[in-house]
Order: sequence, then C-alpha cells, then structure tokens
Amino acid sequence: MALVTLKNLSFTYPNGYTKALSDISLTIESGAFVTLMGATGSGKSTLLRLLKPELRQNGNITGTALFDGEEITKLSPRDSARRIGYVAQNPDEQLVTDKVWHELAFTLENLGYKRADIARRVGETAAYFDLEPLMERDTSTLSGGEKQLLNLAAVMAADPELLLLDEPTAQLDPIAAARFIDTIHRLNRETGVTVLICEHRTEELFPLSDRVIILDHGQLTFDDIPRKVAESIGCDSPYTSFLPTAARIFHQVSGRGEIPLTVREGQRFIARYGNSVRSLSEPKPSDKNEIALSMKNIRFRYDRNGADILSDLDLTVYSGEVFALLGANGAGKSTMAAVAAGLRKPYYGKVALFSKPLKDYKNGSLYQHNLSLLPQDAESVFIRETVKEELKGCEHILDSLPFDLSPLSARHPYDLSGGERQLVALCKALSTDPRLLIMDEPSKGLDANAKALLIQVIGQLKSDGVTVLLITHDTEFAALCADRCALFAQGRIAAADTTERFLSGNRFYTTAASRITRARYDGAYTAHRAARLIEENGGMR
Amino acid sequence: MRFTQLNPFAVTVYYVCILAVTMFSMNPFLLCIALVTSVLSAVLTHTANRKNHLFSLAVFVVAAALNPIFVHKGLTVLFYFNGNPVTLEATLYGLSAAMMLTSALYRLRDLSKALTSDKVLYLFGRFSPKLALLLSMTLRFVSLLRVRWRRIQDSQKALGLYDDGNLIDAVRGRARVLSILITWTLENGIVTAESMESRGYNSGRRTSYAVYRVHAADVLFILVCLSLTALTAAGIWQSKAVYYPEFDMRLFSPWGLAGAAAFTLLSVLPLIINIKEAIRWRLLLSKT
Repeated sequence: MALVTLKNLSFTYPNGYTKALSDISLTIESGAFVTLMGATGSGKSTLLRLLKPELRQNGNITGTALFDGEEITKLSPRDSARRIGYVAQNPDEQLVTDKVWHELAFTLENLGYKRADIARRVGETAAYFDLEPLMERDTSTLSGGEKQLLNLAAVMAADPELLLLDEPTAQLDPIAAARFIDTIHRLNRETGVTVLICEHRTEELFPLSDRVIILDHGQLTFDDIPRKVAESIGCDSPYTSFLPTAARIFHQVSGRGEIPLTVREGQRFIARYGNSVRSLSEPKPSDKNEIALSMKNIRFRYDRNGADILSDLDLTVYSGEVFALLGANGAGKSTMAAVAAGLRKPYYGKVALFSKPLKDYKNGSLYQHNLSLLPQDAESVFIRETVKEELKGCEHILDSLPFDLSPLSARHPYDLSGGERQLVALCKALSTDPRLLIMDEPSKGLDANAKALLIQVIGQLKSDGVTVLLITHDTEFAALCADRCALFAQGRIAAADTTERFLSGNRFYTTAASRITRARYDGAYTAHRAARLIEENGGMR
Repeated sequence: MRFTQLNPFAVTVYYVCILAVTMFSMNPFLLCIALVTSVLSAVLTHTANRKNHLFSLAVFVVAAALNPIFVHKGLTVLFYFNGNPVTLEATLYGLSAAMMLTSALYRLRDLSKALTSDKVLYLFGRFSPKLALLLSMTLRFVSLLRVRWRRIQDSQKALGLYDDGNLIDAVRGRARVLSILITWTLENGIVTAESMESRGYNSGRRTSYAVYRVHAADVLFILVCLSLTALTAAGIWQSKAVYYPEFDMRLFSPWGLAGAAAFTLLSVLPLIINIKEAIRWRLLLSKT
C-alpha cells in the first residue's frame, strides 16, 4: 500500500525563476526504507519539507502530494505531529527542553496525552533507545550522537507512520553516525515505520535501503533498488561520490559481474584480482623539517575536582606537513586544539610554537603571522551583514585560493550553504598570514563537492608552506589530505604515524577502502589507490 | 523518604513557612534558634562548603556592626566611638538583624539545592503547562548561551580580533561577542521553532508531564508545617520584642515559650525526617 504518493509535484521559491523541484512523481510504499541523495541545492530538503505541512516553505506548489490517500495539507496539526516524524541535521537546535525525560515527553504533552499514558510511552521509548541512564541528565551535557538519538527517540515516542530525516548524521562522528543509522534500520525492521532519509554519508545507507532516489537540480534522475542505481552510475558521473567505496572501486577497474556495495562484498570482489604487487611504489617522504608545534606532557582539566581531559599528551607537528588528529566526538580533541592555540592553559606541561614557548609570544603576536584557528562553528566568526564586509582585510588571500567568493559578496553569511560558510571563515582565519593553521572539524556537514574543494585548498596551503593541523573525526577526509595521522583517545595521542601506515594498521578507525583491501594490499586506503593497485596487478586475473 | 524526596510542593511550603517566620520576626530568641538550626542543617546535609560558611560569617559581622555604628537610639550607653554613643539597644538590634540575614541566607541556599530545575518546573506545570515549558526552554538556553559565549570568544581571539590589552578594546570585544551571540541564537532559533511545531506544539490543549506524585506523607507534612507555623506566629504576636528606647520582651510568657518550641520543631523537621530515614535504613540493613 502506498503511504506517500507524489504526482507531477513542482515547487518554485517565491523569488526564484528556476524550479526547486520539477515534475516529481514517486510513490513510497508503507514500511519502505528510502534514501534520498543529491548535492547541496538539489532540492532534497525541499522535497522532504513538502511532506510535512508545518515545514512547507513559501512558494508555488503544483501537482499533488498524498499521504495515506489524502492530500497532505489536509492533515490537522495534531495528526501531522503524530503521524509524520521529522528529524533535522543540527542535534542542538532541535532540542527544546532542558531535561532528557522532558524532551521525550514533549510531543506527547503537546498532543494532550494523559500523565499516565505519557509515563508509559516515555518509559518504553527510553528503554528501546537505551536512554535510561541519561533520563535525569541536562540535555546540554549530552554528546552530539546522544543528542541526535534523543531527537529521534522524542519523535518516535509519538509512534509516527512516516519518519523524515534530513541529513541526521552530518554532524556526527563516523561511529556515532553508524550507530544512528543502525537504530533507524532497526526501527524500520521492528516497527515497520516508513523511512525517508536524505544523506551524504552513503557508505552504510546504500546497502540497507530498499530504494535509492537521486535528485539533481530539482529533477528525479534515479529511482531504483540500490544495486541497479550503483550499476547505472558510472565512473565519471557527477553522482560517483554518492556510491559506497566498494562500488567505486568496481567502476574504476571496470569490474564485471554483480556490483559490490558493502565492505564484505568489496573484499570478495577484489579477491578475484592478483596481489603480487602489494603496495604502490611512492617517493619516500622528505626528511623531517623544523618542528612547528610541540606539546609535551600536557595535562589539562576544566575543573579543579574534575577528571583530566588531556592527560600526559605529547604531540609534535613538523613544519610544512598536514597533520590529522582523529578521534570520536567529545573525546577532547577540540580542547586539545584550544590548548595548542593558547586559548586554554594546561596545568602541567609545555606548548611551543616554532621552538618558542607560547607564553613568550607577547601582545597578541601569537595570533598575528603565527597561528590561526578555524573554529568548528563558522557562525562564531561572522560579525558583518554581508560576505563582502566580512572579507575586508582578506583581499590578499583571495587571489591565491582556488575558489571565487565574489558571487556571494552581497549575501548574508548565514544565508550561505555549509561549504560556502566554511570557505568564508577560512579566508578570515588566513587573513593574519599564519604559519600554523589549526582547523577544527572543517569537513563537518559538508557534501562531497564542498569536501573536494576543501581538500584542494589544503593542498594549496601546504604548497605555500603553511603547516596544517586538522582536528577531525572524518577518516575518509583525512585519508585524502593528511601526511600524518594520529588517534586521540583517553586524553592522549595513542598512535602517530604516516597516513598510509596509520590507516592500514587500524581496523575500525580507518577508511572503507582500507577495510576492503587490507588483507590483500598495503596502503590502499582510498578507492583511487585501491584501483591503481588492482591495475598494477594486471586487472582481471 | 528523605526530606528532598517529598513532593516539591511540600518542600516549597516548608521553606515559605520558615523564611516567613525568620524574616518577619525580630524576636532575638527565635532568631537565635533560626541561626543555630540553619547552620546545623547546612553542616549535616552538606549544602554549604567552607567558602559559603566564611561568606556567611562576614555577612553576620558586617550586619551586626553596622547598626550600632550608625544608629544611636537607646538609653543604655556602652561606650563612645568617634564621639558618638554606642548603645546596648542598637547593638542588640544589629545582632538580631545579622542573625536574621545569615539564617535566611542559609535557608535560601538550602532551598536552591532542594528545588532543582525540574521540581520548579513541576510546580509551575500544575498551574500553567505553557509557563512550565517556557521555563524549561529558558533553562536550556542559559547553558547553551554560556557554551556559545565561550566558543565565540575563543574563535575571535584566535583570529587575532580580540584584544584584552586595554579597557576600550576589551569592552569593544565583549560587545562584538554579544552581537555574534545574538545573531547566531536568533538564526538558529528558527530550527528550534520548527522542531517544536513539527512536534505538535500549539496544536491544541497541552498537558504537563512530571515524575512526581502526591503521597499521604506529603499532605501530612504540609499540615504539620502549617500548624507549627501558626503556633509560632501566635507566640511572636504574644511576645513582641521592643528594642527602643529600652529593650523589652516578654519572653517567658507561656505563649512565647510555646511559640519558641514550635519554631524549634519546625526548624529541625527536615533533620528529623532524614534521621528517621537513616535509622530505618540501618534497621533494614541489620535484618538482612
């Protein structure tokens, strides 16, 4: 039975000439798990919002959208709240109340349920989502992954029939994201709730979806089962970045047979090829340069009676390298960045920048021509009304960077997409000509294109002689741009090594490509490197 | 059941009673009881640390000293200070005021520890579910804003835009942080509003969920509280203290004594409940 039916649905923004959505027709069966993909601005959020009457944007809609056989706009606010659940990208902003138990009860309170009924629903929801130990906590003390799980649980407490998710894992680290997607999948299997999810992170989603829909400039370009979609998207298609790594390797080596989607299928697929050449021959990295940043025996805590956030941390970053510090969200990576940038003082240990202790940089000279920090939230950087005013004083940077921000100059910084915001903030961070740039989660919430551009920018900075310290949870991102990587765990650096050795050595905290190939090849930690190795081994055996 | 496990309504009634008696009576005998019992309960329930105690002591000393220095009413002159008479009556009045202030401070600190945010919410939720929600959202915002303020300050500083060098720069820097904070919060407020609306806020009558229930013990506790307060009030009425021109108080009238006894009992009521609980717990443990 079709739960959602869209017929020739088009949508135009009030000021826009181009259609945000044009002529979309599709049906979603009850109980289906459907993944919606598309680049930023492809209209996927708009489509999702059209399915929730309260969130419809102003604009001109033509065509019909039916929910359970009825026009969606005819749903009363109460019915819409109960029957259609919606979870958005930002874990923080969706929370309404201060306590976890109250957040779970919020929808039910709004729907006017009796206290005893709310108590029962809240209790069973907490148990299902494993939130019991957190019930009395303040919502502000939860980690990003826990917050997003709470948002999901709070929506599911009302027992909706349709669950709409708009990039719910964009802000989460890979492990929290995988857990979130698992939870959705389990909900779909065990309660039969229909799921429509928009995501950039497709590695886990692609194989477990019933159907994959791809939107491009408001048009439906693919709508099929995942394997069919993966087969039809070729190697050089603009949609290649939506494919899981296994499928990308398959296309790059022009594989034959059934296309692999998961890591396990990928492993089976590459087993068909020889492995007499186990690793790529590459020029040896040059000798170690001058030390850019050195942190020795750092101990830090926020609170005198609290636990150490950094405990006996040692870190050395060499001049001219791109160093990636990986680790889960909430482990203290950002605190480490703040200590490295002189914003927090450790109670023990020494921090030195270019062999000079941080405290010897007087009168703010540390932040002029020496060190700059690109913070996690680009919002915390913006002061002005337009991008042009925001970038005053950065003109000398703009020419050397491989992108053009001039088309955006009249816009308000908040009206930019996540990727564009990040670039504007980056220009501001570079305006002081730093020798060391610390970037805190630069790839958070970016789509594939924005990430590719960011990687290009980091490459450019490196060739200009800027040392870059990346703080990130995104292993795929680090694999593409870092020279060395380290894992941050339990307040210290667990392992620092070259990117190749680091990613090949790790089992869990590594890229999908490395997991697919690690038994047969060394250092094939990106799809591209894996494909090159297969070709060096002579392709199909 | 421990005192703080009583229904929040009962806890509130208790503190209203005790604060009312403490603040509206200038009876030195009662205030003495109030001070001793409030310090005792703060020590026994660990609601105050050493810093808090020192602060209270300072308040006490200052409050007690101010009155005799500036007020020269009263007949019994003790000595002359800067050519002004320091009287026994003014000293006594100062001491009473200091006791009142200090014990009220201790009780208010206890109250803020006993009534956590979700209990306050429950109290309001009974009368207005909307007000309760507003309060809950405000509480969430306070911690959110605190975190954000810190983040903005950090990022502005690390971009070399924030300078604590001189006062004008520091003020300018703070103003900029505030302006960013407001823009950021307002912009993102839209997401919160959407989240509320998509979850049925304003779709009709709202209920308020809470995890507290009313037990017979709560009702009993409130009744005891109110009757002890009534008795104390009667006692105060009958044995009013007069400070000027000469100190006079009919302390040992039967009503006065009864009031004092009632007030003592009221003051240690939470301690009695907690001790009873502790004994019962011991007994339970010894049985197993």
